[in-house]
Amino acid sequence: MRDLNLLIGLAMGLNLVALGSSRLPSIIRATALQGVLLGIMPLLLEHDFGWQVVAVAVATAIGKGVVIPGLLQRAMRAAHIEREVEPFIGFVPSLLLGAFGTIAALAVARSLPLLPEHAKSLLVPGALASMLTGFVLLIGRVKAISQVCGYLIFENGIYLFGLLLIGSTPLLVEAGVLLDLTVGIFVIGIIVDRIQRAFDSLDTRKLTVLRE
Amino acid sequence: MWNERPVRRVNTGWLVLVAVCCLLGGIAAARAATRAWLALTLTGVAAGLAAAARVLIGAGAWEWTSAMRVGGETLHLRLDSISAMFLALLCVIAGAGAVYSSAYWTDAMHPRSAGAGRRWWNVLVLSIVVVLLASNGVHFLLGWEAFTISAYFLITLDRDNPDVRRAGWLYLAVSHVAVLLLFTFFALLAVRTGTWDLGPMQERAELAPLFWLMLVGFGIKAGVFPLHVWLPSAHANAPSHVSAMLSGVALKIGVYGLVRFAGWLPTPPEAGWVVATLGVTSAVLGVAFALGQHDIKRLLAYHSVENVGIILIGLGFGMVATAQGYPAWGRLALIGGLLHVWNHGLFKGLLFLGAGSVLHATGTREMSRLGGLWRRMPWTTALFALGAVAICGLPPLNGFVSEWLVFLGLFGAVLSRGSSVWMAIPAAILLALTGALALACFVKVCGVVFLGAPRSETAARAHESGLAMRLPMLGLAGGCVAIGVAPLLVWPALSRAVGTWHGGWMDAAEPAPLMMLGAVQTGVLVIGGAVAWMLWRRVRAVGCVTAPTWDCGYALPTARMQYTAGSFAGIVTEWFAFILRPVLHMERPEGLAPQSASHWQHTPETVLERAVEPLGALVLQGAVAARRLQHGRVQAYLVYLLIGVALLAAVVLSGVSP
Repeated sequence: MRDLNLLIGLAMGLNLVALGSSRLPSIIRATALQGVLLGIMPLLLEHDFGWQVVAVAVATAIGKGVVIPGLLQRAMRAAHIEREVEPFIGFVPSLLLGAFGTIAALAVARSLPLLPEHAKSLLVPGALASMLTGFVLLIGRVKAISQVCGYLIFENGIYLFGLLLIGSTPLLVEAGVLLDLTVGIFVIGIIVDRIQRAFDSLDTRKLTVLRE
Repeated sequence: MWNERPVRRVNTGWLVLVAVCCLLGGIAAARAATRAWLALTLTGVAAGLAAAARVLIGAGAWEWTSAMRVGGETLHLRLDSISAMFLALLCVIAGAGAVYSSAYWTDAMHPRSAGAGRRWWNVLVLSIVVVLLASNGVHFLLGWEAFTISAYFLITLDRDNPDVRRAGWLYLAVSHVAVLLLFTFFALLAVRTGTWDLGPMQERAELAPLFWLMLVGFGIKAGVFPLHVWLPSAHANAPSHVSAMLSGVALKIGVYGLVRFAGWLPTPPEAGWVVATLGVTSAVLGVAFALGQHDIKRLLAYHSVENVGIILIGLGFGMVATAQGYPAWGRLALIGGLLHVWNHGLFKGLLFLGAGSVLHATGTREMSRLGGLWRRMPWTTALFALGAVAICGLPPLNGFVSEWLVFLGLFGAVLSRGSSVWMAIPAAILLALTGALALACFVKVCGVVFLGAPRSETAARAHESGLAMRLPMLGLAGGCVAIGVAPLLVWPALSRAVGTWHGGWMDAAEPAPLMMLGAVQTGVLVIGGAVAWMLWRRVRAVGCVTAPTWDCGYALPTARMQYTAGSFAGIVTEWFAFILRPVLHMERPEGLAPQSASHWQHTPETVLERAVEPLGALVLQGAVAARRLQHGRVQAYLVYLLIGVALLAAVVLSGVSP
């Protein structure tokens, strides 16, 4: 349990890193590292793991830690974008929001009617904090790539929630979710490409001309 | 007794079938074969009238259920004496209007819209037949919607005119508010009873609150006072035969809905008072607004509001009497109201056709441009005057009979010394006031339009309309006279309708004064006719001397020096200025040699302009403000999402934790 909490704590720290950095490569790296950490977690939760759990853990770690960040980095290079220049929510306010969100998640998780064996773990606060971080990134960032990272961190939060149910939900379901997400990232990658070609920019604010 | 005659029930059904088939055939023939359309339509309405008459003279209600499903519901038709009353009125006005339109809205004059007008006419008649016969909520609503839409197309036949388009749009919008309310009403009814089938369900007391929904829904259609906003402009701008149909029948279908469901469903205890109050309000304010109008058809439209008010007074007191258990005067009030449905259909149809005849001859509805038409249009003048006498509720015509029955009901309520006294006394006084104001209003119309000297070139060159336009007016006038001099003839039918409405009120003889009333009315008619004939002979024998009117030493009298419609009604409209809010523009002559002066007065659509339009503007503002939420920024949409989820979480958490 302590090892798991340590990993979750690290993941929560990476949330703040993602919130606080303006350079896209570091956001992507934070997301990738978080993905790898999440991939390891099932191994700590399942005490008598077989080859399936190992396979899923490896697949998660590779998918979240290598494949998707790789795709994002390719998109970033193709679009010649390195930095988030003028976000809706600045980096310091984002960090404050993230910190506040983390504290609030810890507070809320205490008042939730949880099972006794989950009361001590950081799974629920970690999940809530990651989802909030994802939301802050989605709302506060302008570039499509940082928004994709927001989605990824948001999904990581959902994944953490999913770990609560690891006893009753087969990991294969989680693997399916991951597959969905990978396909989603592909689609977003294509859209990013199209946005880039149509608007000569990855600024999602320019999408408002499409509203009617 | 009528009831003892052996009758085969199937006959009514065959007549209905013939009517429907002929009207459908008329739709097919409307575009190209005008004469075939007229023949089919007349046959159809004659068959419909015969079916209604069979039910009304006591052949029993006709009910037909088929295994065929329309819209997921089995077809269930019912023609009882209440729907037969309205069906009879529909057939009379539809026939008269069809003949009238064949000369009034011809292919030669309106090549683009005449064929469409004939077709929509039949659609309108058919859909009203469906509304009257349907005994299932779904079919009622289907018929109702078809009725609303076809009336819209008839109103906007002349849609090159922007006024007509605006009137049609207002009608369509307001009507759909009514449709929406009726949808809610029937849906709630179906949910609570478990079936769309309609029928008497007096014992289900929990259905009573639905009455209010229905009252507003049907009230909009009937043109009850604060809900009448669509009515004046639609009636004024529609072709005249359509106005006659709208005013004579379409409004009455709203009344039909009220009567029908007030009879079938339980009503809240205060419903009768509300209906009666609405009736009194409509009657008084309808006639007050009518007095302020300068457009002859708009004026007639406001009189429709007034007459629907009179009908609702009868219905309202009938409902009060049901609730309090006074069958004697309740029957009289309700019968008066129902008879007024017929009467108003007849004389208002006549008046609108007469106004159409004036419009046809002069091309204007503006009374200040008419005048002196009786010389050029004696038939129209005589028939319009007859309609005016009838609508003012003067003996010896039909308006007097129905208003008198309503009065008898009100007096009965006063004499019963129950709690209804406090409503009945003011209602009687205000009803009398309404009659007096209506008389003033029609003196104004007849005086300004038909008497005096022509105020414009077009009025001076007016011509009498042809036989096809005079015949329907003569027929309707004949109906007015017949009900006026022989009210006993219609009593059994009305008595049956009231018996259907309230089972306990079936067997009662006609009130003794009715026989006497018929005799007195006949006497008045005969004596009046004789006096008029003698005077006419005297005038013919002596001969007329033509001299300038009002030649009191002034050398150059012109037609503009006559009383105008506004100046005639000025005193009365000032009494009601608090609600009419007339707009006055006056430029007084000043100085020794005044150059210009003008006086212009206009009565606005107060309810529409002061209440409905500000409300609409407010809704529009709200909508525009809400539209700012949709700006296309993904980030902000995500904020909405987050706020929504947070609120949901708050609701759930606050609900879960004790």
